[in-house]
Amino acid sequence: MENEITIRMVDVAKSFGETKALRKCDFEAHAGEVHAIVGENGSGKSTMAKIMSGVLHPDAGKVTILGEQITSPVDAKRVGLATIFQEVLVAEEASVFDNLFVGRDGIFRSEGNTGDRWREAETILARLVGKPVDLNEVVGCLPLSIKQWIVIARAILRSPKVLILDESSAALDLDSTIRLHEEIDRMRASGATILIVTHRIAELVRIADRATILRDGVTVGVLEKHEITEANLLAMMTPSDRRASEAKDYASKGRDGAGAILTARNLATHRTAAAFDFDLPQGAIVGVAGLDGQGQDAFVRAVAGIAQPFGGDVQVRSADTGKMTSVGTLDEAARAGISYVSGDRKREGIFPQQSIFENLAIGVYRKNLGPLGVIRKPSLKPMFKREVDRLRIKIGSPSNKITSLSGGNQQKVLIGRAFANDPQVIVLNDPARGVDLGTKRDLYRELRIFADKGGSVIYLSSEIEEFIGFADRVDVFFAGRLFRSLSGRDIAEEPILAAMFGQSRNTSVEFDLERTA
Amino acid sequence: MPSNAIRQLARDRSLFVPAGLFIVLLAAVATRGHGLFTMNGIAGAILVATPLILTALAITPIVMAGRGAVDLSVGPLMGFINVTLITWLVGHGVTNPVAVIGWAIGLGAAFQLIQALVIIYVRVVPIIVTLSGFLVLSGINLMVMSRPGGVAPDWMLSWGAGTSVFSPVLFLLLTAYVIWAGLRRTMFYRNLRMTGSDERMAYTSGVPVDTVRIIAHVVGGAFTGLAALSYTALISSGDPTQGSTYTLQAVTALVLGGASLSGGRGGALGSTLGAINMFLISYLLSTFNFGTVSGFVTQMAFGLILVGSLLVNVFVISRRAAA
Repeated sequence: MENEITIRMVDVAKSFGETKALRKCDFEAHAGEVHAIVGENGSGKSTMAKIMSGVLHPDAGKVTILGEQITSPVDAKRVGLATIFQEVLVAEEASVFDNLFVGRDGIFRSEGNTGDRWREAETILARLVGKPVDLNEVVGCLPLSIKQWIVIARAILRSPKVLILDESSAALDLDSTIRLHEEIDRMRASGATILIVTHRIAELVRIADRATILRDGVTVGVLEKHEITEANLLAMMTPSDRRASEAKDYASKGRDGAGAILTARNLATHRTAAAFDFDLPQGAIVGVAGLDGQGQDAFVRAVAGIAQPFGGDVQVRSADTGKMTSVGTLDEAARAGISYVSGDRKREGIFPQQSIFENLAIGVYRKNLGPLGVIRKPSLKPMFKREVDRLRIKIGSPSNKITSLSGGNQQKVLIGRAFANDPQVIVLNDPARGVDLGTKRDLYRELRIFADKGGSVIYLSSEIEEFIGFADRVDVFFAGRLFRSLSGRDIAEEPILAAMFGQSRNTSVEFDLERTA
Repeated sequence: MPSNAIRQLARDRSLFVPAGLFIVLLAAVATRGHGLFTMNGIAGAILVATPLILTALAITPIVMAGRGAVDLSVGPLMGFINVTLITWLVGHGVTNPVAVIGWAIGLGAAFQLIQALVIIYVRVVPIIVTLSGFLVLSGINLMVMSRPGGVAPDWMLSWGAGTSVFSPVLFLLLTAYVIWAGLRRTMFYRNLRMTGSDERMAYTSGVPVDTVRIIAHVVGGAFTGLAALSYTALISSGDPTQGSTYTLQAVTALVLGGASLSGGRGGALGSTLGAINMFLISYLLSTFNFGTVSGFVTQMAFGLILVGSLLVNVFVISRRAAA
């Protein structure tokens, strides 16, 4: 039983137009194991998951799930396969209950008892979320983290024999990830096959029994449990020419900033939250952390001029006059040289119908107008090429749609858009969500170069490890306000975590680093 | 669980505006006299309002299926059933009630089946398909019958008398409600809402979205057939052009009833309220003397009330939902 093969892929290939997502993919997974699929952006992981789920059809090769061929999600449901996709797919206007059981029944016939389902859903959702959720509530009124849980619970409620998680923990905070892992352990014990598609290497080392590594659409190897280490994974994921700088060290080389370029006074993120002050030194990279919904998101939106803070004032030093000017709207923020990059690519990032070129250059059209307001596109070509080279964006033709790129490469285009504006301050809102390590390193490197040239960075992340060896200071949010600023040796997992949970300062820390920041 | 049903209705904020408007209009009509609140008044109202209510019901499942699938062809389709009924069936001596009713419902369902198949398998945007349907049928109707004429079957002539509340026309309406209520009890209604709310989500979750869409269209087509019967009873003859005016009225009624044109939200109750509200608006205006411009005034009132109700929805109801 233990070694029964549940999924087998042989020589699978899949192309989207000119982009070859999968070239030669071989894969096997057994019952009762947690199997990770690892690879950089654009390596074909998500395509693999979609083929297994019956959403996409392979151009060549053979896929067998639990001994059957799957050609549609209806098929997948029949054989007992459930997938949690990267996007949070919910019907906003329907109730939690309807969202949990969508697709479970025939067109007319219900295949379960409503009362039983109700109880089962309440139990599982309470276990996952950590508190009871009203199943009658309309999903659109709930926060993103609960929507994510609904999507996860929808799959778990099917008691699948094969469960695929495609970057499903991306929107979850640490506490929630632990609960998810408990759930995965429970399913593994009952003999299910669990596939995890993830970039979070730490997570994978902890939970995976085996890992299959993909590179450029080819499966390059399988690691057993004891071989799954960060070094091994990286060695297999990254082409050899990119492996030069193994250790992450993009920390500041100790230059002093020339005063604050952006200040916030008496800022309040919420009606009930206490006001706080914030200073961004020129040439600094300031990390912003916090558990889900502690005000850090509202804070970065406020400084970027995307949304009005509940109270307080944000000022930016003008590049021309050197005077501090108030920034309250998006337009003022743009004029003050603030660029914003969102990790929520689908909703706040890409123009899905437009080309890669348009997506990257759209922010600078206004500065490149010729007679009669015609955009001088040729004059933008050098800029485009520079950003593509610098950020190592893997593209086919610049006129291809942005959606032909993988998530990580889309994110790079968005960061290129921000750089193209020649900003003073870049505000990044969890830009590395669902992005692989190679891309992250490209990003850290470019942001550090930007900071060394006098630019300033505000970097919100849901992964603590991102800040280590990168940020000059980490501002941790708790209960809607800036709770603690950490710098120097305090930028490490434990002190940041302690602050995220609102714990009082660890007495073993000798210096009051908050004041030196 | 009736209390549960009531709670669900209360949760469905989309019905607040149409229900409120209905009460206001009813009160306004009452202040203008009691003509409507007599047996004859109600019988006449049912006769006049039924084609509009049924066409609004017909587009409801189709709009709910999402993709911005507003069925523009509904009016001309009703006209098409009307003129073919008069010319091809009655014109050739076929007056058997079973044949006539079967023809009306079968033709409506068949036409919608074709539209659904084109939308799904040719992958054309729904509104383009139904716009083509609108144009093609508007033309064909004039080819079948170049000017209003013909007579309805004998047994149908009494339907349009408007003397009794419990006329056969009311039963056409009730038939539609019974079909809808039956569908609501099955999983189809949930599948339809889910498909309309987020088709990708529904598809990847294992909802057979294509089949759901086909059924939505076929049900809509059957309702159009019922609408055509009530329309034929109302005018007792054939008319190749008047049917087309019902398209925009049905869409207006649907939106007034709180349905979302982007799909996922809507229902028979809302669409019915929307259609009745439109009837009440025109009835109310007809009690004033606008002379020759009364038709324009009615249309303008429809437009203003539509915009007004959407504004109330956005600024009062949804605001509160978000808070």
